[in-house]
Amino acid sequence: MAEESFLSDEFVSQLTAVGEVDIVVGLPTFNNRDTVQRVVNAILVGLVKYYPRQRSVLINPDAGSKDGTTEAVQAASIPDFRAVLAASPLRTMHVVSARYSGVQGESEALRMVFAAADLLGAKACALISPDLESITPEWIDALVQPALKDGFDFVGPVYQRRRFDGLLVKNLLHPLIRAAYGYQIEEPVGREVALSGRLASYFLGDQSHREDFPGLGAFEWMTTAAMAGGYRVCQAFLGPRVTVSRRSALDLNTTITDVAGSLFRCLELHQSYWIARQKCEQVPTFGFQPVLDLDPVRIDRKRMFQMFSSGVDQLRAVLEQILSPGTLEAIIAVAKLEERQFRFPDDLWAKTVCEFAASYHHSVINRDHLLQALTPLYRGRVSSFILENGRAGSDDVERKLESLRQEYERLKPYLIENWNRNVR
Amino acid sequence: MRTTSSSPNIASESAVPGADPLWYKDAVIYELHARAFHDSNGDGIGDFPGLVQKLDYVQELGVTTIWLLPFYPSPLRDDGYDISDYTAINPAYGTLENFRELLEQAHRRNLRVITELVINHTSDQHPWFQEARSSRDNPRRDWYVWSDTDDRYRGVRIIFKDTELSNWAWDPISKAYYWHRFFSHQPDLNFDNPAVIDEIWKVMQFWADMGVDGFRVDAVPYLVEREGTSCENLPETHEVVKVLRRRLNEKYPMIFLLAEANQWPADVRHYFGDGDEFQMAFHFPLMPRMFMAVKLEDRKPIMDILQQTPDIPETCQWGIFLRNHDELTLEMVSDEERDYMYDMYAFDAGARLNLGIRRRLAPLMDGDRRRLELMNGMLMSLPGSPVLYYGDEIGMGDNIFLGDRNGVRTPMQWSGGWNAGFSAADPERLYLPLLSNPVYGYQTVNVEAQRRTDHSLLSWMRKLIQVRKSSRAFSRGGIEFLQPRNHRVFAYIRTLGTDRVLVVNNLSRSAQPVELDLRAFEGYIPVEMFGGNPFPRIGRLPYLLTLAPYGFYWFRMRRL
Repeated sequence: MAEESFLSDEFVSQLTAVGEVDIVVGLPTFNNRDTVQRVVNAILVGLVKYYPRQRSVLINPDAGSKDGTTEAVQAASIPDFRAVLAASPLRTMHVVSARYSGVQGESEALRMVFAAADLLGAKACALISPDLESITPEWIDALVQPALKDGFDFVGPVYQRRRFDGLLVKNLLHPLIRAAYGYQIEEPVGREVALSGRLASYFLGDQSHREDFPGLGAFEWMTTAAMAGGYRVCQAFLGPRVTVSRRSALDLNTTITDVAGSLFRCLELHQSYWIARQKCEQVPTFGFQPVLDLDPVRIDRKRMFQMFSSGVDQLRAVLEQILSPGTLEAIIAVAKLEERQFRFPDDLWAKTVCEFAASYHHSVINRDHLLQALTPLYRGRVSSFILENGRAGSDDVERKLESLRQEYERLKPYLIENWNRNVR
Repeated sequence: MRTTSSSPNIASESAVPGADPLWYKDAVIYELHARAFHDSNGDGIGDFPGLVQKLDYVQELGVTTIWLLPFYPSPLRDDGYDISDYTAINPAYGTLENFRELLEQAHRRNLRVITELVINHTSDQHPWFQEARSSRDNPRRDWYVWSDTDDRYRGVRIIFKDTELSNWAWDPISKAYYWHRFFSHQPDLNFDNPAVIDEIWKVMQFWADMGVDGFRVDAVPYLVEREGTSCENLPETHEVVKVLRRRLNEKYPMIFLLAEANQWPADVRHYFGDGDEFQMAFHFPLMPRMFMAVKLEDRKPIMDILQQTPDIPETCQWGIFLRNHDELTLEMVSDEERDYMYDMYAFDAGARLNLGIRRRLAPLMDGDRRRLELMNGMLMSLPGSPVLYYGDEIGMGDNIFLGDRNGVRTPMQWSGGWNAGFSAADPERLYLPLLSNPVYGYQTVNVEAQRRTDHSLLSWMRKLIQVRKSSRAFSRGGIEFLQPRNHRVFAYIRTLGTDRVLVVNNLSRSAQPVELDLRAFEGYIPVEMFGGNPFPRIGRLPYLLTLAPYGFYWFRMRRL
């Protein structure tokens, strides 16, 4: 067991009182008072309903909330479970809140959860976001069961997304991770995941790169590290993911910098694994896939195209250092098209991403600048995607996405070649 | 201790001179069947003279009261709970003279004796029922509950669901149905008939005049039936009890009534009335939760049920127990809890009967000495008068293949010799076979072997009872629960006046630390009651204790 001085005496004392458990549920918070009680109640009901005999604890690392979030977590309770479940908990329900110091990022909070799982000998460790509106008790079962009972080490989520939601995942993260790591995992930055106890212990011990993965990057790192580490990976249907986030949506630039940057960094960390990886496997998927009619996400396609065109023009000198001449020429050509005729084809987009990844690896320019240069190109890809699929049915869209994924897979040797090339 | 008031009944007063009418609060009760204890005449069946021969053992154990299971004439189709004569002794167990001798010898040893009052039903062989069924015009017809159809009292639950399909049975002689809440050969008496109540009172007087010290009233909730109800716990039932109690108080103030009412605490509370019904009632729902808590390693089940338990009149007392002659009943638990108990304690379906588990304490604890001690420690320290089932003090096992509840009613194991020292008869004549497997068989588990060592379970149980009796905080004190963060530790304080005892139980199989908030006792010195050693004085900081697996402490809190 790793000895961790970052755990406060009070936290350790609370964990000692809880003792050995089977399930840890981690719920990192920061000023989530408005939503967290409902989330806690869903977790408690889920544990009582699906794991009444298992010993469990909810660990709530808090970044210093000033709105009474931790008090709300402690106060959240079901006065009479029989009114909800026709059953009562057999065991004491444990909820442990603790403040963590340091930056208000996910990594430190996750570290506390992993430490708790390790110290208490947990067999399964689930992570839940505090701002979920759509969580149900069934999410607990969907995430925990594969880790607790079916021998899987990593359980990723499968969300039911609204149309044109998650385009960054669908066009960049998912297909590149699939091609590189050889696993068809739907949500590589899923925030609701579960780990086996041994994977949580592994992550606790291997935190040396945590400072490289801000925000969602920590989840990308977990997902890719699990795959690269040879752990058993699966995913579970959860349903729509609806949140109430009081934070203003990060601008696209920051998102791409974080997410794409984390992805490229992961590729560096795991290069010995993915370069040698030949297969591409489906990942076992558990649970019941709901089919709900969700409103599409509205995106200003035209504005996206305009930003793409102007971005290509303004950043040409930068793009010349990142992309191959042929790729850049093709991008310039499509940027000159009329908006209604504009297409950013799959092969060009995949090639662009591969070249960006390799260039990031070789640090051809400042990495932050490199990632920022990807943003207008991504906008172009989004504009094209919406234009092509605006009236398509969901099955058609899925076929096209599958075609994109296969294009990435086809380009894997190209990625490897560029990755390994000598930089001039 | 209060002195007894004058009473016209010499027999009941002679039990213990200068006795306290609330003596039952301090009782440590030992439940046994004369048939199972010791056979004096070599017929293979235990008897009263045999029991008398073993009274020294009972006295040495430290218990204060013997509860005798039914010994009346009976066809024995329900182990004597089917009575065919209320004022006689089953010849297999002896005579009325033998019984009087037992009472005298027990009282000489300061042992009280309580007997069974099985009044909800009789055997169908009882002369009352034989008369009642003979004709619709018979004077005793109305002593039982009859119907021309089996439609009445629809929906009432069947208690012996493994063997009975209905609460009505067809009587081919009188061509009518009769009501029976238990076996079909046990027709229910009709307590709407005052003659029945009067006759039962005569029965009570018969035994009270002889000198018994109390009655355990079987199956109380079912005395009266009413259409459209569950036929349990009806107000009319309580009226019957009040009548009997009033008469008992007037004539025999030292005799107490103990209710067998397998109900939720809030429902059992009514059987205490305002101190004008039963003086004692079994706390059935607590028992399975003690077993649950040890398996879950969590005090929650016990805490929940005790916090739901209402206050009872000052003159009343709960009767608490771990096991008895019946199956470990799981009627008063939720479906989830029942499933858990079955999975944990009766994975072999052969151990399940009705809604319960027909196993003894030691096999339920897997023969684990530590768990046996912990369970008995809680039994002796929680509020109530503890009831110890014969044989559990030496860790007797069971035999689930004997049918019904016979597996927990096997002969007492006195020695490793002939028939375990129970009887001189040929082994084939014994009323039930002895346990003979290598783990719990009489050669391994017996009184003689355990008497030889201070470290045996028997020696430990004697010590436990002795320590319990050293403080009336256990028997008459209030209880305050401590709620340390470690849920595996179940801690409470028993208080009677200035006598305070801190009890700390580790429900877990692993060693546990616990910090107790004892600021209210700052300056007190806890003295561990078994060894007599003082522990560090209590200060303002949380009091840290470490407990061995399944370990427990009893501390007398001394202020010096």
